[in-house]
Amino acid sequence: MLELLCILSATAIGAMLAYRFAGLRGFAPRWASALLIFGTGTAIGIGIASIIFFVCRILAPGFSVLPILVEIALAWWLGLEIYRTRDRAQVAAQTRTFAWSGALALALVLVLGIGTLGMSSFWEANPQGNWDAWAIWNLRARFLASGGNLASRAWSPVLTGTHPEYPLLVSGFIARCWSYSGSMSALAPMATSYAFFLALVAMGTGGLAALEGGSLGLLFGLAVGSCPVVLYEVPTQYSDIPLACYFAGALILMLLERPIAAGLLASLAAWTKDEGQLFVAAFLVLMAITRRRQFPRALAGMIPVGILLLVFKLFVARSNSSLLAQSTMGAGLWPRLTDLSRYLTVVRIATRQLWDMRSGWYHPILPPLILAFALKFKTNWRRDVLPAGTLTVVMLAGYFWVYIITPNNLYWQVQGSIARLTAQLWPLGLIAIFAGLRAPEQTGQEVVIEVPQTKAGRSGKRNQPGGKAASQPRGRK
Amino acid sequence: MLYCRLPMRIPAARRVCFPVSVRVGVMATAALSLFGALQFYNSETAAERQSQNRDPYMIGPQYERFSGLRQTVPENAILGYLTDAEPGSVLATTIFDAAQYALAPRLLQAGTTGEWVLGNFTKPLDFEGLGAKYGLHLERYFGSGVVLYRKQGR
Repeated sequence: MLELLCILSATAIGAMLAYRFAGLRGFAPRWASALLIFGTGTAIGIGIASIIFFVCRILAPGFSVLPILVEIALAWWLGLEIYRTRDRAQVAAQTRTFAWSGALALALVLVLGIGTLGMSSFWEANPQGNWDAWAIWNLRARFLASGGNLASRAWSPVLTGTHPEYPLLVSGFIARCWSYSGSMSALAPMATSYAFFLALVAMGTGGLAALEGGSLGLLFGLAVGSCPVVLYEVPTQYSDIPLACYFAGALILMLLERPIAAGLLASLAAWTKDEGQLFVAAFLVLMAITRRRQFPRALAGMIPVGILLLVFKLFVARSNSSLLAQSTMGAGLWPRLTDLSRYLTVVRIATRQLWDMRSGWYHPILPPLILAFALKFKTNWRRDVLPAGTLTVVMLAGYFWVYIITPNNLYWQVQGSIARLTAQLWPLGLIAIFAGLRAPEQTGQEVVIEVPQTKAGRSGKRNQPGGKAASQPRGRK
Repeated sequence: MLYCRLPMRIPAARRVCFPVSVRVGVMATAALSLFGALQFYNSETAAERQSQNRDPYMIGPQYERFSGLRQTVPENAILGYLTDAEPGSVLATTIFDAAQYALAPRLLQAGTTGEWVLGNFTKPLDFEGLGAKYGLHLERYFGSGVVLYRKQGR
């Protein structure tokens, strides 16, 4: 159980950082702020704790308590900062609530509980996770946790076939938990993956609640928390749910106009997996085009982790080339690009994947479709939908081209990875749709009811229908 | 058509009414999401999936299988690797990666060039004779097809 304490300590540091510096207090409703701080804090806390552990392992491999001391110092400083600047954050006025918000919150708790029970069945059957978990992510965590100079084996070129060039956020964090707890149990990778899932749901729910309205946030939580392709990936212990969490978090914080925190989350995505580097590029271009004034701050948020990634790729693990580098080098690139059958293969498997996302007759496209018809899109939908949708489409296009130029067996590559890529991008797509919808609160109309004093509340008569629906988004302070 | 939330204790009040389509859409989404989560739960707990999906690569038993070797070989060792599995096959990749995971931080290197070589076999064989073909001396047999070889003449 010590592993859980290690995860909680990282989450606590992240939450303090998010509380003090990310500007996430003061959104209405209050629980949206709390969820945003929890979700962002979990994602940032795990990322930063992983980086502290990794850097200390590189710089002072013989001094194993150094990362613990750094974390304690960071927590101490953050505690003092929060105490020094304590104030009551101004909560934006909440104009209207949806009648069934409580029931939606209860449904979300139920959905998460049922999903967790399903995952526990997988955890019990496969405590080591699926193939990539033990062959890539947890294997490298074992090297990092071993201390001394053995940590450098995590990116040894001898590890052919297990991607020694991959970034180390997830492996580094699991190694940290194993090293601190003194036990390499399966609990640490299981709980880490689950913490990222909760952070994904919390950031999406809280973010959309703050952006549009509480009930829309809860509906997003229901849609993403019940999506089979996302739920299946959580107990596999792969890096795709952490990546999905960072993608969604960066997008949500971008929409909430918190560019520094958004940039930090985007850069942590790049330190999680190579796909995150494509996301960073797309994110930066998008910020430069659509949110020019916030671009420098987003870039500033990316710099620390960006430098670490560059050092790792260019100096530490320079002898290991990435899949993209392998794909673009050599003479086979042009024939692969001009082979029409490759395009057809990718499209065919992707189409089948869309259909295979269902579980029984439940398909995760149904909730957003139903809500699009029921709630309708808001009048200024372009402001949020265009950047979010563009980011999703650019990522899809990027993955498509990586498939086309891959030197590996195409069928094997697409078949083996498309479900995981769907899990990465589905929450992004959902945010793109939900950010354009009217919140149920905004569809309500006020009517004045006159009720006779003697029978209060029993024989009310509606006499003045009308009243404009409150349609002002409440997210931006 | 509007649905009004009635504040019962207030004699005259502003009520917020929501269109039926919104109520139906929200209710359907919540119900569908619950159904989706239940579907996931049912599929994960189904007996068929449980039997098919239970540690398909036998990673759990590898710790026990390699425990003797782990106690014998120091953590910083780099071991060569010899197997009877067909090179490039799924079986060969699986048992190599599983052995690497169970033995980390020791590093496995395909080939028999190193001083110490791990023999990872899928069936009973003449381990000593097989090693001799590659110039290896059988140092110790740990059972379950796990053999530690050493380069002859060292």
